[in-house]
Amino acid sequence: VRALQPALDALVVTGNGASPRVLKDAGAKEADLLLAVTEIDEVNLLAAAAGHRLGVQRTLARVRDAEWFGGDQGFARDILGVDAVIDPEHATADDLAETLLLPGAVHVEHFAEGAITVAEIVIREHSPLAGVVVRERPEPVPYSIVGILRGGAVLVPTAGERVQPGDRVFAVASQEQIAQVVAFLDGAPEEVRDVVVLGGGRVGGHLAKRLAGRCDVRVLERDAERARLLAERVPQALILHEGDLSKEMLLAHGVDRAGAFVACAGDDRTNLLATLHAKQLGARLCLAVVTREQYVPLVDALGVDGAFSLRLTTAEAILRFVRVDTVRAMHLTISGAEVLDLNADPGSAIVGARAEPAGRLSGCEVGAILRDGRVLIPAAGERIQAGDRVLLFRRRGTAARVEHAFDA
Amino acid sequence: VRWGVVLPVVGGALLAAGAGMLVCALVAAGYGDGGGLAFALPGSATAALGAAGLLLGRRLPSSPLRPRDGYFAVTAAWAASAAAGAIPLLAAATFAAPVDAFFESMSGFTGCGATLLDDVEAEPHAVLLWRSLMHWIGGVGIVLLVVAVAPATGLASQRLFFAESSSPTTERLTPRIADTAKIIWGVYLTLTVASCLALFAAGMRPFDAVNHAFAGIATGGFSTRTASIGAFDSLPIELVTIVVMALGGINMAFYWRAVHGDSLRPQLAEVRAYVLLLAGGTAVVAASVLIADDVSGLGTALREAAFSVVSMMTTTAFITGDFDAYNDFARLVIVSLTFIGACAGSTAGGMKVVRFLLLSRTAVQEVQRQLQPSAVQVLRLPGRVFAEDVRRTVLGFFFVYVSVWALGMLVMAAVGLDAVTAGSASAAALNLSGAGLEAVGATENFGAVPPAGRAALSLLMLIGRLEVFTVVALLTPAFWRRRWA
Repeated sequence: VRALQPALDALVVTGNGASPRVLKDAGAKEADLLLAVTEIDEVNLLAAAAGHRLGVQRTLARVRDAEWFGGDQGFARDILGVDAVIDPEHATADDLAETLLLPGAVHVEHFAEGAITVAEIVIREHSPLAGVVVRERPEPVPYSIVGILRGGAVLVPTAGERVQPGDRVFAVASQEQIAQVVAFLDGAPEEVRDVVVLGGGRVGGHLAKRLAGRCDVRVLERDAERARLLAERVPQALILHEGDLSKEMLLAHGVDRAGAFVACAGDDRTNLLATLHAKQLGARLCLAVVTREQYVPLVDALGVDGAFSLRLTTAEAILRFVRVDTVRAMHLTISGAEVLDLNADPGSAIVGARAEPAGRLSGCEVGAILRDGRVLIPAAGERIQAGDRVLLFRRRGTAARVEHAFDA
Repeated sequence: VRWGVVLPVVGGALLAAGAGMLVCALVAAGYGDGGGLAFALPGSATAALGAAGLLLGRRLPSSPLRPRDGYFAVTAAWAASAAAGAIPLLAAATFAAPVDAFFESMSGFTGCGATLLDDVEAEPHAVLLWRSLMHWIGGVGIVLLVVAVAPATGLASQRLFFAESSSPTTERLTPRIADTAKIIWGVYLTLTVASCLALFAAGMRPFDAVNHAFAGIATGGFSTRTASIGAFDSLPIELVTIVVMALGGINMAFYWRAVHGDSLRPQLAEVRAYVLLLAGGTAVVAASVLIADDVSGLGTALREAAFSVVSMMTTTAFITGDFDAYNDFARLVIVSLTFIGACAGSTAGGMKVVRFLLLSRTAVQEVQRQLQPSAVQVLRLPGRVFAEDVRRTVLGFFFVYVSVWALGMLVMAAVGLDAVTAGSASAAALNLSGAGLEAVGATENFGAVPPAGRAALSLLMLIGRLEVFTVVALLTPAFWRRRWA
């Protein structure tokens, strides 16, 4: 607490969060929102349920063991009074799986109930986009480029911006066409047939379960008991009990020939080091899960294809829940950009504005609009209409007030 | 030995056996063809002794049952029942030598079905019924009956239950083991009544139907005819008998789960493999008989092969044709199937299909492990994951089982039998199939085995029925050492 208090502009109370008395002391009665995000599922649920009783308006609990509910999500809301349940590990594993199953992408995120997809792609020499001005890009199917990540910095591309090899671009397209777009932009996509996963914890476990049956999955886990548990739960995957990370061990399990390597061993340094190892040995797509923000700058420097942050996933889920009603979903990229899925309320200031980075939307790039159930990639001069779902891309911390323009 | 826990179990078993004898005495009185007194007196004495043991045991201070007490009590209950069951056979002059009567009685209770009788039809109704009734009482377990009817304290019942059960893993259908025992006996009783009605409908006389229902569902094999089912020479009877034997070879808990609407998945893999083995065995034997032997037509071949394979793999040993007259390949296939046996938790003998499946999985995984030493291997069947100690237990079981069989074979050879007879006689007793090859072949009885061999085979039957560990543990010095009480 002493460490936390000066770092946060918040009241810090010490105590068991599941205790009604502690909650009362913390002012649960007048609170608008209660977030229970400790490491322990039961404490979170109990705290959220207790907070609900005490009169907190909305509660959110982090629950990592989906079996808690026996597949019945209504249980949390109806019986316990928990408004939302988040599971960052599961969500991260889903993100990883989506990425692996979309050849060419290093990160994938879905919006507007899955209708619109944002994909991050590394532009290599042979990509048709390399050296091309954004506005003059070849466009076999409609898509937009909402951002470029160059040298660790995000930029919202101006019309004359030229894409360089080594850049990462954020492309937006409809769910049906994203695979085509990504394949086109990558130039030479290859389907991932076999994946080596380092770490059979919650992320690795969920990932193995998602991928098993769709590609060949090998999981390296150092804890014997956890390895056994995973082997029991995911029979289609090959679970290997391996001790220390070494080049020989990685080679023995064919990391050099693997279509993808995912490091989610729970320790940032191990993950980054292992990914670096794997990349050098020849694994094609190398993804790492990191928790601490300070390692993020390293991701690019180490040649890791994509990094996934548990903390950002948690933050996304919480912010999605906390933000004003017009924000339907959001995604924070590890590189410091964010994607917002906004609802243009009838009568809001944004209606009628041009969907381009000027005026009310200065600093933002409109990636796509969902209008009447159809995905629209905005052409020049397109205006936002009431009821549109608008996908916005911006650098974190800029154009902070834009979402209020969508509020009626 | 803690008599407070052993006496009630032995007493309960004797009471059940005594009650059975009294039923036979009533039947003898009804038919008037002798044996009434031979059953009435030992029956009353056994029942009285059993009741006394039950009451006396209840008065003794009850102490927590240690695993060794469970093993001892169960083995003692079975040995005592077999000894008691031999008395009326001696009294009715069916046998002159006590060892022969004991062999027949042990063969009855364990559901083995090996007989020393030359001429079955010559025996009075009471003796025939007693032979089938012993099968039936022993079928799903005489101690299980005691646990169901006169339950001891919970923990004791549980130890007894698992000391007698024929399953590599512990399973219970209800929180209380006594209720599980009741359910199993209930299912068993229902199947028996259904089998009896079906056999009657297929054309058996009521007395034959009752006896063959008892012997069939208990996968025993004693018949009321010397020529066994072959004496009826009726296709409907053979088909019904095949179904009865096959049903007796399935886990009783499986039926309850099916009726109760519980998930069948944990046992489905075993039942599926069991049915496939029966069908596959039939196909292979029928084909080999068609090719190598003098059999008239596909229909006859299938009919004979199906009956022999089902009868032997469920370790029943009802006989229609003489499978010992087939070619050597078919004979060995049939004997090999008796080692696998039927499903765990059934009335059948053998090593049980589920153990066979687990052993096969382990073998495959061991080969894979040579190539991929760090791979984590989980012992699983579809719908079910087994703990690693199950693998160890099953491997140990396999070794002890095969060792006991080999020892039995050596003893049989030592008392003067030829190699094939010795091996198959040992298998017939241990697997409880009750029929072997050559001198103990399908249409022979065990008369060729000298008295010393008969005693040894009786022991093998007991070992086989209690799934080796229970009896073999009793034979180790460590069991009798006082130090680790």
